[in-house]
Amino acid sequence: MTGTERRGDVALHEVTKRFGPTLAVDRVSLTIPHASYCCLLGPSGCGKTTILRMIAGHEEPSSGRILIGGQDVAGLVPAQRGTALMFQSYALFPHLSVRDNVAFNLRMRGVPREQRHREADRMLELVRMTAFADRMPAQLSGGQQQRVALARALITNPRVLLLDEPLSALDEFLRLQMRSELKRLQTDLGITFVHVTHTQPEAIALADLVVVMNQGIIEQAASAREVYARPRSPYVARFLGGQNVIMGKVRDQDGRHALLDGPGGALFRVPLHERRPRPGEPVWFAVRRDLIHLARAGAGAVTAENSLEGLVEAVEYQGSFVKVTLATATGEEFLVNEPEAAFFASPVARGDRALASWQPDQVHLLEPDRAGAGGSPSLTAAA
Amino acid sequence: MTVGPQGRRPLSFWILTAVFVLFVLFLYGPMSAIYILSFQGPTGGLTFPMRGVSLHWFGALFGQQRTGDFSGSFARSIILALIVMALTLVISLAAGLAFRQRFRGATLIFYAAIASLVMPGLFVGLGIALVCQVLGITPRWWLTGLGAHLTWTLPFGLLIMFAVFNRFDRSYEEAARDLGASDRQVLTAVILPILAPGLIAVALFGFTLSYDEVARSTLTVGARNTMPLEIYAMTNNVTSPALFALGTVTTAISFLAIAVALLTIARITRRRGTGPVRAADPAGAPS
Repeated sequence: MTGTERRGDVALHEVTKRFGPTLAVDRVSLTIPHASYCCLLGPSGCGKTTILRMIAGHEEPSSGRILIGGQDVAGLVPAQRGTALMFQSYALFPHLSVRDNVAFNLRMRGVPREQRHREADRMLELVRMTAFADRMPAQLSGGQQQRVALARALITNPRVLLLDEPLSALDEFLRLQMRSELKRLQTDLGITFVHVTHTQPEAIALADLVVVMNQGIIEQAASAREVYARPRSPYVARFLGGQNVIMGKVRDQDGRHALLDGPGGALFRVPLHERRPRPGEPVWFAVRRDLIHLARAGAGAVTAENSLEGLVEAVEYQGSFVKVTLATATGEEFLVNEPEAAFFASPVARGDRALASWQPDQVHLLEPDRAGAGGSPSLTAAA
Repeated sequence: MTVGPQGRRPLSFWILTAVFVLFVLFLYGPMSAIYILSFQGPTGGLTFPMRGVSLHWFGALFGQQRTGDFSGSFARSIILALIVMALTLVISLAAGLAFRQRFRGATLIFYAAIASLVMPGLFVGLGIALVCQVLGITPRWWLTGLGAHLTWTLPFGLLIMFAVFNRFDRSYEEAARDLGASDRQVLTAVILPILAPGLIAVALFGFTLSYDEVARSTLTVGARNTMPLEIYAMTNNVTSPALFALGTVTTAISFLAIAVALLTIARITRRRGTGPVRAADPAGAPS
């Protein structure tokens, strides 16, 4: 039984990929459990697509091993791996009808025409494209093309479906619709999906396992809730958004808490858990935007612990909450998502000075980034 | 189109129109004279006026007479053009596929192949003839003539294949491989059908360039002329409208080749729905 339960496992051991002098993937190890939905998340050039293509067999690792269902797939051609790749451009064959596109794999395997058309029609039904079976790809919209590409990949009966930026070519409405449809399909089929994306909401909405990548390495691989609420490093916190990343230098620590010197004379008290930083060591931590208390700063207000004073730069009404942007001494934008009612009870406006404060137990301690410089503020892509 | 405030066209419009009309007249006027005169009556001569209208001179072409070896040269030209077409197609496709990989000397080979486009054709022919003389090979249309034609058609074929592959998305190949296609199936089931319009264009070039080649042929076809050379010879000694009839026939064949090629390409693009938009029935019943 364990054999069949693990047939869709994907395991990477110390996988490295070089393109000439460029290191695209740097000793990545990762285990994607059978029948899970995994998202590889990161900015363009972080190596996520290269990993997908190596699993698919369109690239060979420079070193390291890839196992699918416990079997080393080195040297196996794509079709022998039990994977199917859905291309970002869909790559539907322009000279074949929708039905013939879907039936392509069966035709290559020599399945008789009638049988392969029957199978193709069954797949088209699964993706609700029956009415378009006789059309040519050029006559379909982007969303329809994607469904056909999906049916064409699924007809191979893969253990692992690999999706390269599947939603990036669609408009906002279709993207949300297809997103839930992908999740439905994955649950219904009970196979492993590996989905490459640079869009944070897509990853956390879909994935059982979110793999956050940066410069060819994995910053964090965990559940969606874990990477969002408990990011491992400043990079993850910034990329996933929803957090303010703050740095302070250790002034003092008592084994349970540390007192940090922040920018502009601010003082932060953070819970240490297992960490024992030395005095003077820089420590990063994150505070969720929605767990911050915002108050109008009084004249000559004494700056308390765990607070930052700043100038209100922007106020955006978002419906259920109000997003306030502060310019503080950290040098980075400081964002507060205040519940609508709380905001309008004592509103602030652009140009006001405001005080943002939080409870020490709502602070989440971060480890340094694995790749690149520790606290580069240029990585706020998904803010 | 720019139209003046009172609906009057600017002067530039009339100048450009005049240039265009002159161009068209220059292009088609002399040709038309030849086509018209080829229908000259049996008693007519090489110049206007027409003395009646007939197909007499077309008949004279195929009859055994002083007009030279028309049927023979025509057959040779068609056979040679077909062989050149097939070889150009196969070699250009193979070269196009090869040049997608970066290999040592790729640039050098490319320029070496293209250089024969700019070399004067007459001297290419002369060179081939000289070398053959040294090697003791008798020039023949299907041997040295074929080689000479390929020096002309292959660079064209290669350039077209470059343009074709430039627009070819390699993810089609990867998708095919992902879906279980072998190398051979990738070629036959995906690359060739997708590239079909470009391949037809290469074939068309191969055929027409060979069919009316003169410069490289004169010294390389040997004792038996291809048709353009036969026509050239005829202009010196034939003094009847049969010459014009020959011009009309050969032009018609060129146009036929082009029409067949273009219609085939149009058919392919229409089938793929990439051509002019046509309404497709969304509820089309599966056949």
